[in-house]
Amino acid sequence: MYHLLKGLHEYLTRKDEFSIIILGLDGAGKTTLLEKIKTLYNDTPGLTPDKIGPTVGQNTGKIMLPSTILQFWDLGGQRGIRNIWHRYYEDCHAVVYVIDAEDRERLSEGWEVFESVLSSPQILGVPLLLLANKQDSPLSLSVEEIRHDYEDWHQRKLESARRSVRQGEGENEIIAKKERIASLEVMGISALEGTGVRAAVDWLFIRVQNSRRQERHS
Amino acid sequence: MGLSFSTLFSSLASLTQWSKEKDVRILMLGLDSAGKTTILYRLQIGEVVSTIPTIGFNVETVQYKNVKFQVWDLGGQSSIRPYWRCYFPNTSAIIYVIDSADTARLPTSRAELLTMLSEEELKGVPLLVFCNKQDIPGALKPEAISEQLGLAGGEKSRPWSVRGSCATKGEGLEDGLDWLVNAIHSK
Repeated sequence: MYHLLKGLHEYLTRKDEFSIIILGLDGAGKTTLLEKIKTLYNDTPGLTPDKIGPTVGQNTGKIMLPSTILQFWDLGGQRGIRNIWHRYYEDCHAVVYVIDAEDRERLSEGWEVFESVLSSPQILGVPLLLLANKQDSPLSLSVEEIRHDYEDWHQRKLESARRSVRQGEGENEIIAKKERIASLEVMGISALEGTGVRAAVDWLFIRVQNSRRQERHS
Repeated sequence: MGLSFSTLFSSLASLTQWSKEKDVRILMLGLDSAGKTTILYRLQIGEVVSTIPTIGFNVETVQYKNVKFQVWDLGGQSSIRPYWRCYFPNTSAIIYVIDSADTARLPTSRAELLTMLSEEELKGVPLLVFCNKQDIPGALKPEAISEQLGLAGGEKSRPWSVRGSCATKGEGLEDGLDWLVNAIHSK
């Protein structure tokens, strides 16, 4: 009887755990975002922005949602650290890519890195969220502008690839990538002030659950 | 009335948090002469004390912003490193100190660190690496040391951070502890 009740209790209070990795260039605001998420969802507040410097290492954060635990990984964005991101692709359930919408000069660098994330085969079916951070700054590009900037950048890249006749992606891969870009979710946030952060977490929460359900059905 | 209950409740809740925090046990490890003892006393009394090589250990309670740490500074000489493992159970966090100017022994330091991290008892425990002695000319930057340590990608389960410090000037220590407190809480 005890075990029956215990099992029932465990079944009812069971929480599925999902891993989400936060990527982006250095200075995009990944750690600030993670700490803001912790502050918004946990009892103990995360680090305040003035305590946050460039990450050499990895920060983690866990938040509890109804029947779900979201485990975030914030990985350093500096050039030397970027080449380890792929080791996390295998077992992540969603990817968040943070772009600094204020730093126009590094946008194309950001897209270059984003492109390499996008074309990783391990995360082809994984929900991907693009966050245009620093919306608190009047100089920042809006969500629409960010989306256009990326599409323009991508178009230019395709054209230059076509011109220089090189062996590269097949037609199918280009189509798959096009679909991925068309269905890409872009949201604006201010990690500093917290605007849009809850909406982003909600989106992740829904998407990781949906993708798990699909896995079960297939 | 409801308000007074809620304030009573929150003050009680903070009390229980307090008692939890009593048991924050931190191990400070690293090769000999990395600066562990200097860091410990810099944290505790805010002064630079002259130290001699530690045989055995120093243990001090360090009060840092509402959190009481019990910091165990274990001797780093090769003959006593095997005894580090006796202190592994119930550890909340590890501070690993590296002499950034001692490039010759960096591989040794790396090997000791990786051996320690592979211990089952320290699984998931947050790791703070102080790249100490940043004031010495020729000291390696934290980024370069991090690369050589090769933690990236291998240590997925724990939060970790590699930071520069200068124990004699007190630089970098507080930032590191802030990070560590946060990492312990968000586990």
